[in-house]
Amino acid sequence: MILSTLALVGVFGYMSASVGQNLFETRRDDALIEAVQASNAMQQIFDEAVTQNLTSGEVDALQDSALAAISGIISSRATTEYAMLRTDGQSETLLQMNDVQSQAFDTDLLTRDLRTAVADASETPFYQSVRIETASGDQPGLIVGTAVEVPLTGQYELYLMTSLQSTQETLDFMQLTMVLGGLALIALIGMITWMVARLIVGPVQTAADSSARIAAGELDVRIPVHGDDELAKLGRSFNDMADSISRQINELATLSTVQQRFVSDVSHELRTPLTTIRLAGDVLHDRRAGFDPVTGRTVELLYTQIQRFEQLLADLLELSRFDAGAAQLEIEPTNLVRLAEREIEAVEPLAAEHGTQLRLVAPGGHFEAEVDPRRIRRILQNLLGNAIDHGEGRPVVVTVDSSTDAAAIAVRDHGVGMTEEEAQRVFDRFWRADPSRQRRTGGSGLGLSISRDDAALHGGWIDVWSMPGQGTQFRLTLPRAGAHAVASPIELAPDDTQPLALPVAMPREGEGRPEERGSDEATLVDPSVSTTTEEVDR
Amino acid sequence: MSEQTILVVDDDPALAEMIGIVLAGEGYELEYCADGADALDRFHEVRPDLVLLDLMLPGKDGIQICTEIRAESGVPIIMLTAKGDPTDIVLGLESGADDYVVKPFNPKELVARVRTRLRPQHAADTGTMRVADLEIDVDGHRVSRGGEPIALTPLEFELLVTLASKPNQVFSREMLLEQVWGYHYKADTRLVNVHVQRLRSKVERDVDNPVVVTTVRGVGYRAGAPQG
Repeated sequence: MILSTLALVGVFGYMSASVGQNLFETRRDDALIEAVQASNAMQQIFDEAVTQNLTSGEVDALQDSALAAISGIISSRATTEYAMLRTDGQSETLLQMNDVQSQAFDTDLLTRDLRTAVADASETPFYQSVRIETASGDQPGLIVGTAVEVPLTGQYELYLMTSLQSTQETLDFMQLTMVLGGLALIALIGMITWMVARLIVGPVQTAADSSARIAAGELDVRIPVHGDDELAKLGRSFNDMADSISRQINELATLSTVQQRFVSDVSHELRTPLTTIRLAGDVLHDRRAGFDPVTGRTVELLYTQIQRFEQLLADLLELSRFDAGAAQLEIEPTNLVRLAEREIEAVEPLAAEHGTQLRLVAPGGHFEAEVDPRRIRRILQNLLGNAIDHGEGRPVVVTVDSSTDAAAIAVRDHGVGMTEEEAQRVFDRFWRADPSRQRRTGGSGLGLSISRDDAALHGGWIDVWSMPGQGTQFRLTLPRAGAHAVASPIELAPDDTQPLALPVAMPREGEGRPEERGSDEATLVDPSVSTTTEEVDR
Repeated sequence: MSEQTILVVDDDPALAEMIGIVLAGEGYELEYCADGADALDRFHEVRPDLVLLDLMLPGKDGIQICTEIRAESGVPIIMLTAKGDPTDIVLGLESGADDYVVKPFNPKELVARVRTRLRPQHAADTGTMRVADLEIDVDGHRVSRGGEPIALTPLEFELLVTLASKPNQVFSREMLLEQVWGYHYKADTRLVNVHVQRLRSKVERDVDNPVVVTTVRGVGYRAGAPQG
């Protein structure tokens, strides 16, 4: 719209200017020709009539008749004024004619340049654009000057002044017509644009709105289709696509429901007999003192393996719940320091068995965090169990800290540690650090995998630092309510280890992870390793 | 004290028998019911001191049985739930179950839950107490407002008495779990939340603005100051 207006203004402006120029040139050429004709006629009259014996009076009469003759030549007498002026600077001659001029001719309009030019070049006409003051206002005009040589009297300059008012009026009218026409054209273009927009952009807009609504989950949105044009075709294929998508989503939803029900059913069906076995095993285990040694040992094996089986089943079911997307947070205000204290207390007997000393360092985290305490507790139990299991009886340090946008719990052991390859696989399902190592606390090999999912469910993550011979630190970072945590309040690499381990970002499956503080040290070569879990969208 | 009777409502005969073996070893009398549809009749017949109720039953859903028993009796109900699904547990608690054990459970866990619910309550507290505009007759296990008795289950009564016995103390959910439910490490605060809601629905005039059991945000609950 704006563009077409600009183009129109440009074209019309150019047209107006060139037409004006053209009109002016035509009129000027006419005026020049007339002036030459007039001057020739006058010259002829003077050449024939002026002789030695003329009196001044006769010369004046002759001048009058010459001027009258000019009038005959000039086409537009009414608008043409004349002046006949003696060229300045000539020596006195015998005969002289007075300067004559018609009433409306204002000699002040003549410029010195014009007069000089006319006087110097006797044959060629010269012109000058002027603005004629009349009663009805200024009018554009043209003065054409030629030189006339009057025998015995000297050189005179003949000036003809033509008003260009009629030409100007023609030009004005034409410009007005063009402006009006242009406005009409712009209005027309606007209307056409608007109609095109309604016809084409409208349906496209509808399609865009519909796809946005479908993307937002309104799967039953369809585009109304009229006619048989390209737009209708677009609408139909869009609707087909939407149908297909909603069909597939429904199928998946059904599958997911079936899967969840299956998990639930398996859970029930497996757990009931397992409960009976567990009860039976426990009753036998309690009475094993009365059995002979072989039976007693058998009962012990039965007892421990039932526990292991139970743990495995529980972990598997938990993972399948995550996989089905059925896991849900039950947020409660929870003091993470108190939670850590309780969990440390709970594993105290196990730690005592290993001769492990448990320590809690809590510079932060003394507030009610909005977390699911059951899941956080489960993560901590798992990390503590691992730390005690792999800590070689050396102290295990639990750190709780918080920043404005995150809270973190880290569990550090000073045990055997892991190599880079091992640390990278530590969150894999059923992966074990060293298959040849004797399992002491058992465990399903699914614990860290579940912990990672639990952390991701909170929008947080778990990462690990480990170095062979130096130990391992797992760090759980949870964003605080409403915050988007990018940095953990706890350094991944423990302070007590030199050289410092580097929190090199090693996203699994190519996913990004939040930048660690101090990642500018990442160029140092270091045998330690750090892996991380990605945040999983659910 | 005479032998206490426990009704086990479970469709799995092996599990029911095993539970029976465990609990009989602790000196309880056992009765069984394998069909949900018969559960209420058996309940009337047996008049048990405690019900162990499986949630998934043929004939009638465990949640519904729980609601029906609760409608006529405050007898302790412990759910046996196989599902780890949290919503099932909340549903069971909301329908009136006092406590739950998740399969697979071990004998000690089961016995501990049963014992807690069947133990003689509050031998230490006697006489009457006042909370807000309620009178509590501890010995008679009665609660009334202006002479009007309010029926509470033994669990709800114990919850109220626990809070009322120390009116100046704020009880955290963990403390209540330990004192009312007998848990030491397990901190399933849903138990507390659901039962505080059930208690409030019976004793509060306006449940949205509780005065008998008031919430101390971020800490727990306390009993309202005596009025009138």
